[in-house]
Amino acid sequence: MTKYLIKRFLLMLPTLFGVALVTFVLIRVIPGDVVELRYSGDSGSVSQEIIDRERARIGLDKPIWQQFLTWMAGVVRLDFGTSMWTGAPIWEEIKLRFALSLQVAIMATIVAVVLAIPLGVLSALKQDTWIDYSVRIFSIAGLAMPSFWLGIVLILVMLVVFKWLPPMVYTPFWVSPTQNLAQLIWPALAVGYRYSAVATRMTRSAMLEVLREDYIRTARAKGLMQKLILSRHALKNAMLPVLTVVALEFAFLIGGLVVTEQVFNLNGIGLLFVQAVAHRDYTLLQALIMLVAGSFIIVNFLMDITYAWLDPRIRYR
Amino acid sequence: MRRPALVLVALVVALLSASALPASAQDKPRSGGELVFVVPSSPPSYDAHQEETFGLIHPTAPHYSTLLRVDPTDKTGTKPVGDLAESWTVSKDGLTYTFKIRSGVKFHDGSDMTARDVKASYDKILNPPAGVKSLRKTAYAAIASVDAPDATTFVVKLKYPEGSMLLNLSSPWNWIYRADTLAKDPKWYEKNVNGTGPFKFVEHVKGSHWVGKKNADYWDKGKPYLDGYRAIFISNSAAQVAAVRGERAMIQFRSFSPAERDSLVQALGPKITVQESPWDCLNLVAMHHEKKPFDDKRVRRALSLALDRYEGSKHLSKITLVKDVAGIQVPGTPYATPPAELEKLAGYGRDTAKNRAEARRLLKEAGVPDGFAFTFKNRGIPHPYEHLGIWLIDQWRQIGLNVKMEVIEASAYHPMLKRGDFDVAMDFQCGFIVEPDLDLPRFLSTSDANYGKHKDTVIDDLYSRQGRATDPEERKKLLRQFEKRLLDEEAHVIYTLQWNRVIPHLSKVKGWTITPSHYLNNQLDTVWLSE
Amino acid sequence: MALNPPIDRALEVEVPPAGGGWWEEVRDFCLRRPLGAVGAAIIVVMLVVAVLASVIAPYDPVINDFSAMLAPPSRAHWLGTDAFGRDVLSRLIYGSRTALLVGFGASVLGATLGSVLGVASAYFGGRVDLYLQRVMDVFLSFPLIILALALVAILGNSIPNLIMAIMIPMIPRSALVIRSSALAIREMPYVDAARAAGFGHGRIILRHMLPNVMAPYLIMLTAFLGQAILLESSLSFLGLGVQEPVAAWGLMLRGAAVEFAEAAPWMAIFPGLAISLSVFAFNLFGDSLRDALDPRLKTQ
Repeated sequence: MTKYLIKRFLLMLPTLFGVALVTFVLIRVIPGDVVELRYSGDSGSVSQEIIDRERARIGLDKPIWQQFLTWMAGVVRLDFGTSMWTGAPIWEEIKLRFALSLQVAIMATIVAVVLAIPLGVLSALKQDTWIDYSVRIFSIAGLAMPSFWLGIVLILVMLVVFKWLPPMVYTPFWVSPTQNLAQLIWPALAVGYRYSAVATRMTRSAMLEVLREDYIRTARAKGLMQKLILSRHALKNAMLPVLTVVALEFAFLIGGLVVTEQVFNLNGIGLLFVQAVAHRDYTLLQALIMLVAGSFIIVNFLMDITYAWLDPRIRYR
Repeated sequence: MRRPALVLVALVVALLSASALPASAQDKPRSGGELVFVVPSSPPSYDAHQEETFGLIHPTAPHYSTLLRVDPTDKTGTKPVGDLAESWTVSKDGLTYTFKIRSGVKFHDGSDMTARDVKASYDKILNPPAGVKSLRKTAYAAIASVDAPDATTFVVKLKYPEGSMLLNLSSPWNWIYRADTLAKDPKWYEKNVNGTGPFKFVEHVKGSHWVGKKNADYWDKGKPYLDGYRAIFISNSAAQVAAVRGERAMIQFRSFSPAERDSLVQALGPKITVQESPWDCLNLVAMHHEKKPFDDKRVRRALSLALDRYEGSKHLSKITLVKDVAGIQVPGTPYATPPAELEKLAGYGRDTAKNRAEARRLLKEAGVPDGFAFTFKNRGIPHPYEHLGIWLIDQWRQIGLNVKMEVIEASAYHPMLKRGDFDVAMDFQCGFIVEPDLDLPRFLSTSDANYGKHKDTVIDDLYSRQGRATDPEERKKLLRQFEKRLLDEEAHVIYTLQWNRVIPHLSKVKGWTITPSHYLNNQLDTVWLSE
Repeated sequence: MALNPPIDRALEVEVPPAGGGWWEEVRDFCLRRPLGAVGAAIIVVMLVVAVLASVIAPYDPVINDFSAMLAPPSRAHWLGTDAFGRDVLSRLIYGSRTALLVGFGASVLGATLGSVLGVASAYFGGRVDLYLQRVMDVFLSFPLIILALALVAILGNSIPNLIMAIMIPMIPRSALVIRSSALAIREMPYVDAARAAGFGHGRIILRHMLPNVMAPYLIMLTAFLGQAILLESSLSFLGLGVQEPVAAWGLMLRGAAVEFAEAAPWMAIFPGLAISLSVFAFNLFGDSLRDALDPRLKTQ
């Protein structure tokens, strides 16, 4: 087991390095320059001398490999530098937005799981009946609707029908739970609904797989009560792939909600990301991508460990 | 017989008093209350000498004073009045400006403000120390020196007379900082706030909000009326509208779109007041004079003749931020061309069919075939760039041109223009004060902003002559000639429509007058809440 | 955005036995899986509309007509007009072309390239597999929209570039799914037999392995199609996808549609419905296809 763990951990490192490298190169290929952008404003012209001086100050005039090494040296010490746009330390820029995105991700996951598991199980137990069809239609509809459209429609309905608006400014949960939840429940619902679609289908197929097992079929033959008891047992076995899907999607929720955050005006990581791209703020972009990719890789790693612990066959490959 | 007459008199009296009553209640400013407004963009740093974005001006200008400012009660935004300057005199030769600085003004940290601080701030703007940038150095090329001979006198000496110097010195960006602080650390103001303005700094939570509170020691006794203000940063415009609509925010100082204004008016009725003004911003079409066939002025004139500006104005003003048909100065300002005169320029006439026929003729003459295709590059900003782009393409289609629009992301746009990597592209012009000396230098042949790379000595000559003209009527004549050469005879650029500022705000916000610039009138000292 | 196809690591699918007639299979499918049939029908309608757009559409989708701007649905304009007086129905019809073009282009290319990589990775195993996996992992770690955003910023936003920007993130995802299926096939005796018989790597991959991952490939393709359409509409909504005045569903939801959502809701409702319906149809069909092709899920 330990050997497997070490092996998986070591495999994580080149992936992280690869992400850092690709990120670094990718964003520098995008045309446009943070210094030019900062000082052109609405009228659009600024002297070359100012631009060159600023570039030197931020370190953009050095050769790329040198910039990369400087940055990597910082990353290893968990120092991501300062934002090229505002000059503030990266963690300061990110922390509030990260808290918000994390909370939305958690709430959306809860919504998704609360929807997906009962629906998926129901759908599997009643396969090919109208219940099954309705559940499938309901969950696929969630997958099909563009999140920004859902958001627009939701806000419109709230405004026109209920004449109520969610709070505009983010209040942390410990400051005012009601305000906080009143703002974040709506994107959590919109996102959670989408998210539940994938989890529902996974639950359904995993349940179906388990239901084919011999012991379940025997229970069926023996009667309804037995089937129910063993279904719960089956459910536990079916949960593993579902858990995998839920965990991986959760990791993506942190940075992937770009459009949803725009629509609900959430000051989160997705919005910060769009701003950073628009500003060509390399240091911020790099930090954000490392954060998101890093969480995905770590979650993957944790999933691998869980799988190995639960299924011994995997360890010995 | 008497009864109905009495009733009538009573009715008239009631009506008169009803109309009189709200007016008198409105006139007297009421102290107290917190103004909540939304700001679409965040401030990158806190030093206005180094920034160009309204994202800094809107939340931070209330903390500072300037030497002169643009009269906040004047709708045209063209009158300089004193802020820290109590009065001033100009020498006969126009080379020396002497300002009397107010005494008894204190910075928020308690220290006194004197002319020395004004000089230090202007030194920073005109000759920044190493490691510090100043974006406005070139705007003050005419200044030879600034001095503070004593605590209440500030003297500006020019190299040559410049009629617009007072307006130039009214720039909303020239915040007055503390000389002692600048001497110790010229970059201190990038991350800190300490001014002499009507409001003191309380807090700034990045990406969230900015709070200011009343400066009880403000030099203008009795002001500010507000107890404080709170600026909320919301970048999504639908969310901004929702904030005002839900009465969580009272005003947004940049502009809303006509659709947003309409939805607010419909939802809030009398609770909303709308102020509108032509905006000191305009989109113009730049054509690269070194690329065929746009090196031929017939082709350029044809592109301008194709546009039905008046119809465009009527319809586009309903859906985006443009309205007036304008020439080189914002309509309503002292040097703007009267509409009757404007109609004489190519593309500004009312007979669209005739104009388009002429356009087709010019194209044919220049050898441009029917169905000729080219790419129009546009900037990736929705209002009003996208709308204008769609409109332009459709207008050009009607003279037989097949135009494709390529949208360049806003961040990559300016470098593209500078490189000259375009045939026809959308250009933009924004100023903070409407003044020919500030708006027109970009059209000079040597200007960095002359992206179309036209070379025209007549234009260069007309510009310098109008700048030195002391008689306003003479100046107007020269400007008319400049305009005709730029837009008609040579058609170096094509002016589309003047932007239009639309500010719907909660009616309880009083004392704020709209001006053509969203950089002006942001100190909030005149603003009060009626409830 | 929950845009990954279900990561069925242990899913094994078989190709249904040959013979028995293609037409019978289709009819069987429609009868036994009505949801999938509905999905397929919608897809067919979409394809027909897209191909016959110039015949079906009542108006030109790009010509401005200010006399009819912001008009509600009426006899003249069945779904109303937008802020420039352009007919919403016509723009929806032409928009299906853009959606299908970008959708099919990106997903077919992405799924195919990814499948080849996945099969190769599974087949060669060992070091090749390890390195390819690492590279795929690197790209998988980027959320779809972030990678697409960056690519559009680099490449610019013409339709071919858009297809590339959407295709590239899909490659590692499809590689991962197909690799797990291919791993199972690699263990099959006939692969070893082919090696023993001296067949080259390329031939084995192309002739023996690829055909056997057809089923998961097709299923994955339908899911990807839906995702590609959604991604294109998200990018257009953000202003980074298809540009005006071309008709595209995501583009129609931008700007004026949101601003006029109360005064002129038809501008926002219909394009959203179109996107939802098409993605819905692809997913429905794909779902039923998986049910049909996975022997372990058969009820009989």
